[in-house]
Amino acid sequence: MLLQLNHIYKWVKQGGKRVFLLNDISLDVEEGEFISIMGPSGSGKSTLLNVIGMLDEFQEGEYIFDGEPVHSLKEKQRSKLYKEYIGFVFQAYHLIDELTVYENIETPLLYKNIKSSERKALVADMLDRFNIVGKKDLFPAQLSGGQQQLVGIARALIAKPKLILADEPTGNLNSKQGEEIMELFKELNAEGVTIIQATHSESNAAYGNRIIHLLDGSKQLQP
Amino acid sequence: MLKNYIKIAFRNLWKDKSFTLLNLLRLSVAFAAALLLGMYAFFDLSYDQFHENKEDLFQVYYSEQTPDGQELATSMPVPFAPALERELPNIKHISRYISDHALNLEEGKELDLRLIFTDPEFFEMFSFETLRGPVDVLKNDSQISITEETAQRLFGKTEVLGERLNLLVNGRNEVFTVGSILKDIPVTSGLRFDAAVNFTHSPNYAENVDRWDSRNHSVFIQLSADTTPEALTQSAVSFNNLHYQGNIEDLKRDGAQPNANGNYLELNLLPFKDIHFADFKGDYLKVSRAYPYMILGIGLLILFIAGINFVNMSIARSAQRLREIGMRKTLGAAKKQLFFQFWSESVWIFLIALLLGIGLSLALESPFRQLFNTPARLTDMSSSTLVITLLISFILITFIAGGYPALVLSKLGTLKALKGKLDLAGKNRVRNALMVVQFSIAIVLISGTLVLGKQLDYMRNKDLGFNKEQVVAIPLNGKRTNRQNVALLRNELAGKPGILSVTASDNNLGLGKDGSTYFSRMGFDYKGRGVSTNMLVVDYDYPETLGLQLKEGRTFSRSYSGDSLSIVINEAMARELQEEDPLNKQLIIDDSIKYTVVGVLKDYNFQSLNKKIEPISLFMKGDWDLYYAFVKVAPQNMAQTFESIEDAWKRIEPNAEFLGSFLDENIDRTFKRERTMTTIISSGSLIAIILSCIGLFAISMLVVTQRTKEIGVRKVVGASVAQITFLLTKDFLKLVGVAFVIAAPVAWWLLSQWLQDYEYRIELHLWIFLAAGLLAVFIALFTISFRTIRAALKNPVESLRTE
Ligand SMILES: Nc1ncnc2c1ncn2[C@@H]1O[C@H](COP(=O)(O)OP(=O)(O)O)[C@@H](O)[C@H]1O
Ligand SMILES: [Mg+2]
Repeated sequence: MLLQLNHIYKWVKQGGKRVFLLNDISLDVEEGEFISIMGPSGSGKSTLLNVIGMLDEFQEGEYIFDGEPVHSLKEKQRSKLYKEYIGFVFQAYHLIDELTVYENIETPLLYKNIKSSERKALVADMLDRFNIVGKKDLFPAQLSGGQQQLVGIARALIAKPKLILADEPTGNLNSKQGEEIMELFKELNAEGVTIIQATHSESNAAYGNRIIHLLDGSKQLQP
Repeated sequence: MLKNYIKIAFRNLWKDKSFTLLNLLRLSVAFAAALLLGMYAFFDLSYDQFHENKEDLFQVYYSEQTPDGQELATSMPVPFAPALERELPNIKHISRYISDHALNLEEGKELDLRLIFTDPEFFEMFSFETLRGPVDVLKNDSQISITEETAQRLFGKTEVLGERLNLLVNGRNEVFTVGSILKDIPVTSGLRFDAAVNFTHSPNYAENVDRWDSRNHSVFIQLSADTTPEALTQSAVSFNNLHYQGNIEDLKRDGAQPNANGNYLELNLLPFKDIHFADFKGDYLKVSRAYPYMILGIGLLILFIAGINFVNMSIARSAQRLREIGMRKTLGAAKKQLFFQFWSESVWIFLIALLLGIGLSLALESPFRQLFNTPARLTDMSSSTLVITLLISFILITFIAGGYPALVLSKLGTLKALKGKLDLAGKNRVRNALMVVQFSIAIVLISGTLVLGKQLDYMRNKDLGFNKEQVVAIPLNGKRTNRQNVALLRNELAGKPGILSVTASDNNLGLGKDGSTYFSRMGFDYKGRGVSTNMLVVDYDYPETLGLQLKEGRTFSRSYSGDSLSIVINEAMARELQEEDPLNKQLIIDDSIKYTVVGVLKDYNFQSLNKKIEPISLFMKGDWDLYYAFVKVAPQNMAQTFESIEDAWKRIEPNAEFLGSFLDENIDRTFKRERTMTTIISSGSLIAIILSCIGLFAISMLVVTQRTKEIGVRKVVGASVAQITFLLTKDFLKLVGVAFVIAAPVAWWLLSQWLQDYEYRIELHLWIFLAAGLLAVFIALFTISFRTIRAALKNPVESLRTE
């Protein structure tokens, strides 16, 4: 088991009342799974991914990642945990504008204090694999959306995470680019990377081997 | 990692070129200004500090309790120093000191030397290094000690031990042998001279050698290391009772009250290292380093404003980098790493700005030295406290101004940052507070400029009671006796066009080109009471030439014989004598010579304007020396007339330098400090204002950008251009208002403190501060109007589209 959510509640106070963003979410994820989270806009997909990615807090419930109780870890240990195991892919790519493709991909390694020679080798592999060697000295603004998302995924993968969290990774892409990304995810999954993606496209969701439906922060049994 | 930071830093700086440029400009101007002001201040503070024995060196002064209050005197009688050294313990060295001029009579060209008369121990007390010859050279009465520069000037070389020097000293011809060569006097020395001879050569030495009632020189003392000045004051009580018995009895008789120590007459010591900062006010001694510290303070304020600006801009601009921060956090950046990244970006800017600032200050050094009339040099300071202070303030400013924004940014929550939302409410408060501080500083400096300027103007234009515009004063530095030269000058100028009258006296008004100042006072008993007066020896036509107003009686006149026993006094002297009708009263001065008061002059400011007008008595004694000639010229063609005076002098004394100048120039010269201070404060406030404006401009730009959508919506629902402009402006105006409320009282207090130093001063009016506040408001309005009006005029469709 890679991670386990037990009865997670997350709420915000509005006018003295609790507004639930996540309402009693329980979820087991095995290593090697490819999960799609579906739901209309505002249903809580991003919130759930952020909680899983340890970017966001929750008020009640347990979260166990790789045997570690995330809910009782200190911030420092938590960030160590996700630095080690989790990679993010965003709808808006979120590349750093001032850095080249090469440097964007390299950044996570810098924060992991990996040696320069090793960094070079890892980034070169990644550029090779995604067929973007020729683009390595370009800045994000010089790339198409699909290419940017490729770089985003490359960056998420560079630190060899066990889990990739992708929040509507194809949301800003046309359908052809979107398909390419999904194929890539499928490939990665076949190599053993666990993937959780949020999407509201049926066809993209179908790439996953399990689909979870969300509505107003609650898990739905059936769409 | 570091390489990565540097790369990103420079890319970011490059990406926002205009911002970077603005920052660099602002910071380097601030650094340069602070550096130059710091140089000036540290130079001033380093005055007289180079003496190795400075902790043990003092100048002797006496405080005397007169019926009118305390009087301080630094002038000592000739037998005083030897007696003190003989009779009191713990005096390691003592030396008398008179600073005078002498004329070198060799080889046609007469050179004027600043000559001091002092005792042999002088060179053991003070660190004026002897390069050749013995340190105690003055033990030999006929030897003279000269500086290298002087040797070069006189002989064209410095190997001149044993050479003979023929000098005209106070009308006497004296020959000296060069006994030692001194290293040139450091620029930071308050004691300045070209040559030194034994004190026995001082004017009237023989007559005064045993007289305790005639004082004409300063006395410096070096205490043994294990004693205190207070102990010396204490042990001098019996010394005073012995040697000044008569004076003390007179004071008691006149009804004076003893001071807190029970003394009527007290020997006090002023630490030598404080002399440059000491001001003898007559009744009290003020030692204050406020002036250099104020200048240093202005430098720091400028740095401070630049720092504030930097912080504000960095925080305001950070909105653009929120995504990057969020992203880096999701990629595993720790707070520490983010802090370091942002901080290092600031450090680069600061470092480049510092280098530019140093370059700029080096480029501006010589105009600065000219403008502020200072011999200070940046390169002289390289090893001194300036470097340390600079380094500390540089580190502090990068830590605070660079560190604070970095801290704020690194602490942002990941998700918030990713969404590009910056919780600005709290940061705005910091920003507003900083802007208020910045405006307050500007307002204080502006009101300082206004008040200083007004006071200077007031002093320049004040009616001093004499004609300063039409009178030329000429220091008599010729080879003949001064009386002869005055007579020759009278002859030469008689009947020349534009010359109205010629006279002479033994003292100048204001500060002449010869740079010497001097005063002469005496005390005597009048109707059983001690009185004291300033003395002035004059020639015929003195009051007429100077345009002094006669209140009653007459002035000296050729038609009366025996005017050498007449005196003319001023109103203050009449009050000192306590005579309603002083005419024809007889004063017994100086060994029972009877003088008759023949005239009373209206009070005039013969001394500086930070003093009350003191009593003065004019004598006309044919056998006392005169040192300055005065020529009154007609108001037409004054430049031409001035030249003809110079020509006349050249004919009389072809080898003496002509140092004549109009009295208004002389008066102006005495305001050197005020002028420098006004220039510094006004340029300081100018820089502060410019820096504040750049900062304000940038902030207004950001605020307008942040509110673009709001402005568009408001316009769509019908707000007018004026309403929008007002909306955008009023927040800034509020800040200026708050700044005014804080700054005005501070400025008021500071400036009234400063004005206390002047006996004649302007009054502080509220309008000065209101004007400063209004000026700040106008400048602020003007600066932000560029952006606000443009934003308000913008087509709302356009503003909305940008969102
Ligand atoms: N910090 C927050 N405070 C209040 N409401 C929030 C906050 N974050 C998200 N929400 C709300 O929670 C709901 C779920 O948001 P989100 O997870 O982004 O939905 P999805 O990604 O499925 O579109 C939305 O209605 C959103 O407005
Ligand atoms: Mg979402």
